Amino acid sequence: MVAESISVEAATALAAGYKAIGAGLAVGLTGAGTGLAELGIGAAAVGATAENKDMFGLALLFTVIPETIVIFGLVIALLLLF
Amino acid sequence: MFKAEPMRRLVIAASKEQFEPVIREMYRHRVFDIEDFVEQDEEGYEGIKIGKPLEGVSETSGELIKLRSVISTFGINSEDFEAVPQSAKALYSRVESDLPAIEHEVEGLTGIRSGLETRLKEYEQKINIIEPFVALPLDLSLYSGYEHFTVFVGHIAEDIEIPFPCEKYFSDAVEGNLLVVVVGNSQSEDTERLLMDASFQSVPVPVEEGQPTGRLAYYRGEIEKVNVEIAETETRIASLKEKYATFLVACNELLTADVERAEAPLRFATTDETFVAEGWLPTDKVENLKEDLIRVTGGKIFVTEVEVDEVNDDVPVEYDNPDFAHPSELLMDIYARPKYNEFDPTILVSIVFPLFFGLILGDVGYGLILLLMSMGLRKYAKGDTASRLFDTLRNASISSIIFGFLNSEIIGFSLGYEPLLFSRHLSIGSNAGGAGPAAVEMLIISGWIGILHVTLGRGLHIRNILAQQSSGMHRSRAVFGQAGWLFVMWGILMMIWSMFPIQFMPDFTAMSVVAAGLNGAGVFGALMILLGVVGIGQENVLDLIEIPTIISHVLSYTRLVAVGLSSVAIAMVTNYISLELIIEPALENISIIGIFVVLAGIIVFLLGHTLNTALGLLGGGLHSIRLHYVEFFTKFYQGGGRKYNPFGMIKKFTEE
Repeated sequence: MVAESISVEAATALAAGYKAIGAGLAVGLTGAGTGLAELGIGAAAVGATAENKDMFGLALLFTVIPETIVIFGLVIALLLLF
Repeated sequence: MFKAEPMRRLVIAASKEQFEPVIREMYRHRVFDIEDFVEQDEEGYEGIKIGKPLEGVSETSGELIKLRSVISTFGINSEDFEAVPQSAKALYSRVESDLPAIEHEVEGLTGIRSGLETRLKEYEQKINIIEPFVALPLDLSLYSGYEHFTVFVGHIAEDIEIPFPCEKYFSDAVEGNLLVVVVGNSQSEDTERLLMDASFQSVPVPVEEGQPTGRLAYYRGEIEKVNVEIAETETRIASLKEKYATFLVACNELLTADVERAEAPLRFATTDETFVAEGWLPTDKVENLKEDLIRVTGGKIFVTEVEVDEVNDDVPVEYDNPDFAHPSELLMDIYARPKYNEFDPTILVSIVFPLFFGLILGDVGYGLILLLMSMGLRKYAKGDTASRLFDTLRNASISSIIFGFLNSEIIGFSLGYEPLLFSRHLSIGSNAGGAGPAAVEMLIISGWIGILHVTLGRGLHIRNILAQQSSGMHRSRAVFGQAGWLFVMWGILMMIWSMFPIQFMPDFTAMSVVAAGLNGAGVFGALMILLGVVGIGQENVLDLIEIPTIISHVLSYTRLVAVGLSSVAIAMVTNYISLELIIEPALENISIIGIFVVLAGIIVFLLGHTLNTALGLLGGGLHSIRLHYVEFFTKFYQGGGRKYNPFGMIKKFTEE
C-alpha cells in the first residue's frame, strides 16, 4: 500500500535524504568516538609535555592516533555523497 | 645526505700544565663534543680521577651569579640584542672597574624598591583594619587603654541587648555591621559568652589616635606618595638598564665562557700530572683542531684517533643535509633525532611534507595568506627553532599555492578554468547541480600515495637492517620479516585487483578462474599473503596481531582527500552564506538597512575564512606530519640519537 502511494521523484528524494543522514551519522558518531578516545590521551599528553618538553613529538603522535577513526567516517560520508 | 655527518673519535693527552691553552683552543674551535669521563673501579683505571676545575673558577662563578641576578632584575634577554662584538680585553678591565659599581647601584635601588613595597603593604593592612571603624564617630584612642573596663569590637548579624551596665554602640553602615560593647571587667566573661552565642566575630582594634575617617585619608595619601616613589625608582632602574644592557650581556657572555672553560676539566680523566680528554668531532674538522692544538702547546701534546664502533659507541649526531632540507630538521627533532648509523629521512620529509600539505590545502588564496604570514613572522622570529618553523610553513604554503592552481581554487571560488587534476568543487549554492568533486578518484589516488609511502618505509627498514647488522641468520630473518609485511600488503592488493575493477589500478578481473573461485592473480595474491604471514611470524609471532594495521595505515592516507574536501566545503559554505544569502539580496534593493546587512555579510565572510585559514593550517600541518610520524616512521625509523653538542660558544658580543 505504502509503496504504491510514493511517486518516483519522492522516492529518489527520500533516498538522497537518507544518504545525507547516513553521511552525517558517519562523521558525527566517529567524531564523538575520536573525541572520547583522545580525551584521556590528550590530558596525559599535555601532562607529560609539561613535565618534559622533549615529550612533545611523542605526545602529539599518541594524541592523533585515534584521529584515524573520524577520517574513516569522513571517507565513508564522502563515498555515500558522491 | 641520508646519513648523519661522519664523526671521528679523538683522544687528547697532555700534561696538566697544558690545561689552559688546550681548553682555550678547543673552546675557540667549537667542534669537540667532549665525552664525560666517568670514574671506574675496574682494572687499569687505578689512580685516574675526574679533573678539578681550573683556579679562580669560584670567584668567576660568584661574579657571574651576581651579574645574572642584575640581568634578571632588569629582565634582559640576550636574544633581543643585535650582535655587536666588543673586545674581550676592554671588557675584562671594565668587569673589574664598572661591574661592582653597577651591581652596587642596582642592589641599592632594588633594596629601596622592596622597602617601599613593604611599606605599601603595611599601609594597606592598616587601612583594612581601620575601615570597619568608619561606621562609628568615635576617636580610635578610645577603644583601648582601660584598666577596669573590657572593650569588645566586632561584626555581628544584628544588634543584641546586654543585660549588664555597659556602653554599647551599633552601626549597620559597614558590611557585617559593627558592634562595640564596653563593660566592667567583672562582667567581661559573661558578656563574651553572650556575644559568642550571637555569633559575634571580633576584629582587631587599631593602635591609632584620631577619627577613623581622618586616619584612612592619611594612609591613603601615604600610599599615593609611596606609589610615586616606587615609580621613580622603577624609572631609575629602567634608565640604568638602558645604559648598561649591552655591557651586561657582553659581560655575561664573557664570564659564562670563562666558567665553562674553567669547569671543562671536570669532564676529563686526570692523573697526578696528566690529563686525557676524549670526544667526537666531524671528520673534516679533525686536521684543523689537531694542528692548532699542537701549535698552542708547542708540540707537548698527544692527539690520536680511536676507531669508531658505530653500534656500541654513543656517537653524537649532527645533520648533514642540503640547504633546502634544513627547516625539516625541526620536524625530525620533534620526533627524535636519527641514530648515527641509521638512514636519515630528513630530505624525504622536506619533500613529502609540503606535498601532503598542498594536497590537503590546495588553495591559492589560503596559500598566499599563509605565505605572507610565514614570511612576515620570519622577520621577527628570534632563535633557530622559530625561523625553521616559519621556513617549513613557507615551503608548505608555496606547495599549497601550486596545488591551488592545479585545483583551480581560490578561497573556495573557481579560478575560472576547469581543474587540471581533479575537481574539488562541491555542489553548494550557485555551484549546485555541477559535477561535484571527483571524490572517488581522489580517494583512490590517495590510497596509491599510501601504498607507495608505506612500501618506501618498509624498504628503508630493510636497508637499515642490511647496513647495521652483519650478514648471517639473524639478519636474513629480519629482512624476511620486513619483506613479509610488504608481501601481505601487495598480496591483499593483488586479490582485490583480481576481484574488482578499480579506476587507476591494474585490472586483473578478466583472467580465467584457476582455483577456489580465484583467478591467476587472485591465487598469486593469496600465495603472497601466505608467504608474508610466514615471514612476519618467523620474526615475531606477536606481530601477527598487527596485520590489520597494514590496511588501516594505507587507508589512513585517504585523509589527504577527506580533510582537504572538508576545508573546501567550509570555504564554499562561507562564500554561499555571506555572498549569495546575505550580500547579494541586500544589494538588489539598496537601502540604509541594506548597507548594514552588507557589512554583516562582509564580517561573516572574513570570520569564516579566518577560521578556515586557521583550520587549514592546523589540519594541513598536523595531518601531514602525523602521516609521517605514525604511518611512515613506524615502519623503519628508530631515532634516539644524541645531539652533537660541541664544547664552545657562538660568540655574539665578545671577541678575543
